[in-house]
Amino acid sequence: MTQSDFTAEEIAAVFPKLAETMAEALGCDEEEITLTASLIDDLDAESIDFLDIVFRLEKTFKVKIPRGKILEDSRGPLSESEFEQNGVVTSAGLAQLKAYLSEVPAERFKTPLNVADIPRLFTPETFLKLVIKAQREQAGAAQ
Amino acid sequence: MGQSLPIETPPKPTQQRMDSANLLENKAVVVTGGSRGIGRSIVLTLAAQGADVTFLYCSNKAAANETLAAAAELSGTVKAKRVDVRNAESCEQAIDEIAEDAGKIDILVNSAGIIRDNILGLLTNDDIQEVLATNVVGVFNVLRPVIPYMVSKRRGKIINISSVAGEKGGRGQTNYAASKGAINALTKALAVELAPRNILVNCVAPGVIETEMTEAIRQQAGDVVKSRILLGRFGQPEDVANVVLFFASSLSDYVTGQVLHVDGGFKMS
Repeated sequence: MTQSDFTAEEIAAVFPKLAETMAEALGCDEEEITLTASLIDDLDAESIDFLDIVFRLEKTFKVKIPRGKILEDSRGPLSESEFEQNGVVTSAGLAQLKAYLSEVPAERFKTPLNVADIPRLFTPETFLKLVIKAQREQAGAAQ
Repeated sequence: MGQSLPIETPPKPTQQRMDSANLLENKAVVVTGGSRGIGRSIVLTLAAQGADVTFLYCSNKAAANETLAAAAELSGTVKAKRVDVRNAESCEQAIDEIAEDAGKIDILVNSAGIIRDNILGLLTNDDIQEVLATNVVGVFNVLRPVIPYMVSKRRGKIINISSVAGEKGGRGQTNYAASKGAINALTKALAVELAPRNILVNCVAPGVIETEMTEAIRQQAGDVVKSRILLGRFGQPEDVANVVLFFASSLSDYVTGQVLHVDGGFKMS
């Protein structure tokens, strides 16, 4: 999903609260939460912070985000072996990942890319997309 | 070296709870396996210190009601929830409900456990699977939904109940010993993971405690086992609960990743 898949209204409705929630989880100023900031490299997030962020977003937006959802979604239609070999993202996997994380500047995708390093690419927008997607799914399920 | 002198008259069990200090006032506590035995004693001991305790129990409603009745006069509140810890979804739902109700979870005590003793060659698949499902997977099932609540508050206390068998398993206890050894290992690894968020993880490893669960072993080999306990007596559930209280309270705020044996010196003998 790219940013163009979302309406400006959806982003405007989610982002302020998302920024506030992420700033609380990371113990940083809200202004530091920009859509394209790298959570690990720019905001010093650790893996346990991702757990905290997802948990807080679930409570704030009253949605359910299954653990590991980003990595699962980022694989798209590819099987695990098509996506990665021995812990390294394949070229097909990299193309899929770039499409999924379309908000991430191209220069941040290092090659070869280890699967363990994928979270380094995550930005607040990655989580914004997750929330909007979960909201849509929830609204769809309720109908 | 001279021969050590036997203890002729074993010291009497204390069976006392520290009921007056209110060490856990306003603390929201979850105890698994709280309807009977050591779990019940933990529920009552923590509630006597002002904690608001919700205990989980698997099936014995009468025993759960006995625990509730015993807690009626204590300074904290006690509630019961019927949850099978082997079911991850049920655990998640129960923990969310408890946290919604209390607004937080400060302390988790993983006390639910079962035994299916037999020599390894005679263990059935069910004997192995059921013990591991309750004693190990059940702990994961409760930990996973609890930890985010603690991480978001940047504090928490987790106390796992393992067993002396985790380090010194006896005949017929391979499945149980393996499950409790796993809990000791889990405790130490989780303590490392969660220390940066000020969540302390410790473990209490009881020896032979006078509960329904150990009745068979006490009847079959009571004298032999007792002769190997330095203090010369079996433990009482309160002996374990008092150590859990220590780990649950601020008295242990600089202690994490520890396995403390409450066994009257059994492991040393």
